[in-house]
Amino acid sequence: MRQPLKLHSSIALSALGVGAFLLAWEALARSGVVPAGLLPSPSAVPGAFLAEFRAGTWQAMVFASLSHYLSGLALGTVLGITFGTAAATWGVWDAFQAWVVRMLRPIPSIAWIPFAIIWFGVSKSAATFLIALTVFWINYYATYSAVRGVDKDLIELGHAFGQGGLIPRLFKIVLPGALPGILSGVRAGLGQGWMTVVAAELFGISGLGARMSDASGLLATHIVVLYMVTIAALYGVCDFLFMQVQQRVLAWQK
Amino acid sequence: MAKINGSAVIDLKGVAIGYGAEAPPVLVDVDLSIERGSFVAIVGPSGVGKSTLLRVVAGLHEARGGSVTIHETKKPGHRPVSLVFQDARLLPWRRVAKNVRFGLEGLPIAAAEREERVAAALRLVRLDDYGRRWPYELSGGQRQRVGIARALAVDPDILLMDEPFGALDAITRHSLQDELLRIHRETGKTVLFVTHDLEEAVHLADRIIVLGGSPARIVQDVRNEPGRDSGGFREQVEQLRSGIADNYSI
Repeated sequence: MRQPLKLHSSIALSALGVGAFLLAWEALARSGVVPAGLLPSPSAVPGAFLAEFRAGTWQAMVFASLSHYLSGLALGTVLGITFGTAAATWGVWDAFQAWVVRMLRPIPSIAWIPFAIIWFGVSKSAATFLIALTVFWINYYATYSAVRGVDKDLIELGHAFGQGGLIPRLFKIVLPGALPGILSGVRAGLGQGWMTVVAAELFGISGLGARMSDASGLLATHIVVLYMVTIAALYGVCDFLFMQVQQRVLAWQK
Repeated sequence: MAKINGSAVIDLKGVAIGYGAEAPPVLVDVDLSIERGSFVAIVGPSGVGKSTLLRVVAGLHEARGGSVTIHETKKPGHRPVSLVFQDARLLPWRRVAKNVRFGLEGLPIAAAEREERVAAALRLVRLDDYGRRWPYELSGGQRQRVGIARALAVDPDILLMDEPFGALDAITRHSLQDELLRIHRETGKTVLFVTHDLEEAVHLADRIIVLGGSPARIVQDVRNEPGRDSGGFREQVEQLRSGIADNYSI
């Protein structure tokens, strides 16, 4: 059996791990074993940040990517939950769309990039479309299985107390009962959404991904690393904030 | 003992129950008239359709044949029947008071009266101070009290109870049985109570219906003096036990 760690020793060990990783990286970059252009040293990143920040580029890129991310995330999440709920509760619709879903699901959203550009041009809308597509499928499946998994006894309870009609059943039993599963889907969508942001922007739509692509073309790898760290930090903040909301909304769980 | 004024609140005529269209019925020829204010226990071995009979009365299961008539009191803001389940069946995402309120939602009553009825129901089951708790913070017995409060809040003509104490430990079960007798005395509600525990039936009910045979039917319909201390408690239990044994074939 593993002994559980005390909270402060676990935090200290995590910090030690990150420190050791950065030190090893720095040592490798400075040793000259790897050419400097191929692996920037981590100590070059703060300087790169200051330069990008002073020029206003960093803020502009973060703002552009965040706006793609948030609009795609909102659209994909709302549509995914809506269609997932409809398919899980309405048998006729489920059967009608089942094979369309099977055909479309395996196509990765990056494969839609050519169409996104043909339909929307190299624009914010194209990025939003691609991010929404990724997020849609995650939420669709999470919602579908969460709604299907709602305890049938609770549905019977609704019927016994006059809450068996479609609207009260949906809003008083099915959706609250499915909420933990639905929120897990939303959270997974938060992470996958960032991956699609970068992929979509690598094709030239302005944002973090486009900036990374430009910098790598000039072998400015310290700039690439700066934006990698930026994405990680943005995802970390989003995930942390979402977890706070999730814990409040699901306070009824033990 | 609660007042029994003699008028029927529910009439079952020739009710038959089965599962699936093809399978033979499990329960047939149920003719039963239940007086307002009475406490009727339905006992019988597993599988005779006791719980399903309750669901037929509640409108949750369709009878294979026969008719169910509920002589509903004509008053606004109530439901004719309500149900207490064996597993309490609280909505985990609602606090206790909101669980009790569940059946009142959609009824044509003012918000203030609704909240007053929730509070009154919680008082009746002695959980006045528990309205803000989450279900997971309650013991099994407390959860079942909330289930009873929820069923009483809708002011039903008939309170249907499906082995409500079957999953509780013996001490909690005894104390809730006594609570139920008190609630029945105070509210005068008609109770239809399914159990497989003969002692529970003899302790609680003023009338005991025994189901048995295959397909099952009513094999005994006896008047009873409720209370564990009543003189004939043992005799009554033994008489019912032998009555069931005579009609029980494996």
